[in-house]
Amino acid sequence: MSLEQHEAKLLSAISTPGSDAAKIARGLDWIVVGILVFAIIAAYHIHMMLTVGDWDFWVDWKDRMNWVTLTPMLLVVIPAALSYPFMEKFGLPIAGTLCALCLMIGEWASRYFSFHLWTYFPMSMVWPSIVIPGLMLMDMVYLLSRNLFVTSIFGGSAVAFAFAPANWPILAPYHVPVIHMDQVVSVADLIGYTFTRTATPEYLRMIERGTLRTFGGESTLISTFFSAFVCMILYFVWWKIGEWLTNMGSTPNVLKKYVGYSDDVEKEKQ
Amino acid sequence: MAVTQDNIVKNQDIKPWKFNLKPMIICMLILVALMGTARWYQQWAAWDFGLDATDPMFDVYWMKLFWAQIIIEPILFVIFVGYMWLTRDKHLNDLAPREELNKLILWISMLVVYAFAFYFAGSLYAEQDASWHQTVVRDTSFTPSHIFLFYGTMPIFIIIGFTLFFYAITRLPFFAKEISIPLVLVVCGPFMLLPTVGYNEWGHAFWLMEEYFTVPLHWGFVFFGWSIIALGGVLVQVIKYIIDLMPKVINEKGELLS
Repeated sequence: MSLEQHEAKLLSAISTPGSDAAKIARGLDWIVVGILVFAIIAAYHIHMMLTVGDWDFWVDWKDRMNWVTLTPMLLVVIPAALSYPFMEKFGLPIAGTLCALCLMIGEWASRYFSFHLWTYFPMSMVWPSIVIPGLMLMDMVYLLSRNLFVTSIFGGSAVAFAFAPANWPILAPYHVPVIHMDQVVSVADLIGYTFTRTATPEYLRMIERGTLRTFGGESTLISTFFSAFVCMILYFVWWKIGEWLTNMGSTPNVLKKYVGYSDDVEKEKQ
Repeated sequence: MAVTQDNIVKNQDIKPWKFNLKPMIICMLILVALMGTARWYQQWAAWDFGLDATDPMFDVYWMKLFWAQIIIEPILFVIFVGYMWLTRDKHLNDLAPREELNKLILWISMLVVYAFAFYFAGSLYAEQDASWHQTVVRDTSFTPSHIFLFYGTMPIFIIIGFTLFFYAITRLPFFAKEISIPLVLVVCGPFMLLPTVGYNEWGHAFWLMEEYFTVPLHWGFVFFGWSIIALGGVLVQVIKYIIDLMPKVINEKGELLS
């Protein structure tokens, strides 16, 4: 792809160290970083908290069925959509990693300032799921392959495949069995019983149930595989949605005559 | 090349480049002060006076605050948006490229403020709502978390968003000639979070309580939150335009021409 004359001029200008053009370009970069960080924290966090929030909020909801299945499916959506403008328009395969980092900032701030300081839950009960490894892998596949189909299959599924292993080291101690009032429960359950959520009755806790348990120790693996399958499709679909949202273009402004753009003036200029 | 008196005089006429980040920094500090004060107030008044909407103290400490917000925010909206429209540039077609670049970069820097305000509504105060409602049974639509989330942080980013939209269509030729659809989505999508509160509160009042946060009743917020993805489209449009605009303002060596 060859550069047009004005683009070549601009490239030469911003490549001159210490020039005004270089200062403008670099300053603009930092401003855009500020916009993206805050906007992504907000958009990604509201999306996650209202779709898989409960499994993410509470340690006793972090099960082998819904948490492992649903979280990667919802995790892949916004990074996939942003992969299009980041990679195709700016050549930056960082959408997944940036989204993961932003989500972590938003979640940790919320868990500390709201769940811990305001409603007095211990941080050991409300830590957010670890999501950075899977989304980094997704970016890595996109960087290496530069191909939508390959990234959908291997990058999308990587989000799901990395999710349980990434969280397992921190979650394992909470799954140690203990005896509580003559019943076998996990440490996570015991924490949940101790710090009561008045408006969240125990009978509404949606954690693993049904026939998945007949697979014995394979529950996490089965959930992960199903999640990976859906992630592949979701990555593709949401990448396309990102493409559509990015290239929506413009529509005529009926108010432009009030700011000096009447049709006559424009014709005169031409 | 010899330096002549003419060159010196010509160069002196060109103002050196300086980012005008003062408005952005001032607005960010105002937001930090507002949101910090709101959070401090919650810590102080929520557990003591915010548990029961029928308690007379609830009226004193929380409903007065609610009514103050409901009165002040529409007034601020009309003032800011009205100011942008009434003081519009009526000769945008004559705007010099350097001036246009200054205004465009100022507008982009103010998008940071919009994103920062949206952060408080979409992240910090939104999830805080879960920490409160799943711990304390909600009895009405007005609770210590809602009064700041729905009637504080959301109107604030809506006011900023619409003000920036009107700044764009009245002062920036690129957005005045044609309306950017991604920009409309970035402003109107998050705005729709506020009307969604109506559906949310209707559902909670007549249908179900807030036993879990991922209840489908809340997914309207998710849908409109997705519209911020169009920000990618806005940035692509703006940066493409800057690539066309900057060569009119600088030479090959990167020095300003005007």
